[in-house]
Amino acid sequence: MSTLLAATSGDVTKAGKAIGLALGVGLGALGAGVGIGNIFGSMIQSVARQPELRGELQGIQWLGFALTEAVVFYGLLGSILAYVLV
Amino acid sequence: MRIRRLLVVAALALAAPPVALARGEFDPTTEFEQHEWIPIHLGPLNLSITKAVAYLLIGTALTILLGLFLMRARLALLPDRRQTIGEALYEIAQTQIAEQGLPSKAIGLWFPYVATLLLFILVVNLIGFIPLPLTGETWHGIPVWGIYAATSSLSVTLALALLTFVFTHFEGIRWNGPVRYFKSWIPDAPKPLLALIVPLEVLGQFMRLISLSVRLFANMLAGHILILTFIGLLFILQSVYLAVLVIPVAVLFYLFEVIIVVGIQAFIFAALSAIYIGSAIEPQH
Repeated sequence: MSTLLAATSGDVTKAGKAIGLALGVGLGALGAGVGIGNIFGSMIQSVARQPELRGELQGIQWLGFALTEAVVFYGLLGSILAYVLV
Repeated sequence: MRIRRLLVVAALALAAPPVALARGEFDPTTEFEQHEWIPIHLGPLNLSITKAVAYLLIGTALTILLGLFLMRARLALLPDRRQTIGEALYEIAQTQIAEQGLPSKAIGLWFPYVATLLLFILVVNLIGFIPLPLTGETWHGIPVWGIYAATSSLSVTLALALLTFVFTHFEGIRWNGPVRYFKSWIPDAPKPLLALIVPLEVLGQFMRLISLSVRLFANMLAGHILILTFIGLLFILQSVYLAVLVIPVAVLFYLFEVIIVVGIQAFIFAALSAIYIGSAIEPQH
């Protein structure tokens, strides 16, 4: 155990912070990626089926896009808070 | 052709300073610090003019001028290009935002608010991507030009979100009366579950405040940090040749922010405000 601690040589908190930050942003981006892909995929399908609804769907599409995209930033904000405060 | 020439000039201007300055340290967070340029303290209130306030003042003036220029001056039956842009903006505010979110009896009252939100946030976001000599730093006596958006400060977006939050509940109570309005928060559910659901619903009302403000704030902050970091790689890795790779990526992110994110965030803020106010005026239950 002591050899293991010696191997990490000191700045474990800094490493932990970095891992926390990366995990927060990375997992946030993962979720948002899946969500945004879903939204645009469904949009393409809907327009392919009913092209005349394109204008109406576009507003909903961007609303959904922005709502989903914001998830990354909640993750980013949370992890930056953890990084700065811990 | 003119656009390409402009891009070349912009790329050259971006590439030129690091040749002389590619040393030293780089910290993107200093770009977002607020220094009190003109201190104004009213008791516990700090109303000092800072960078964000200066950008907000410019944004307000520009919003008013833009509105007058696009939608008020010299209107004709055969619209020219200027009037077409104004009409397109108005139509987005009318059909995509107000009519989607607000009930028809409240459109006349609340359309000006949501349309102003759309235009104001759009302008404030956009001037955040125009280099202005407002960084508060000087380099050999010359003011340093930089990009900064007032909306990348949480105080600004929180104030905007608070406006919507207050208006939402004020309108909810005014149209429905306090009892009916607060009753509409309680969904149909079996009695034992209500003890669990009602606190969540109340919490949800305040979460709207957080999500509305943080969405805009974090989007603009992350966009600026992204651009700054890519250009800052020159200073971190101290290599001028990296500019070949770094500058195009920074320009790409810049264009992505200006063309897509800026407009969508303004739209989303206005649309969600309209939906929140509309759902308070006409609750489902």
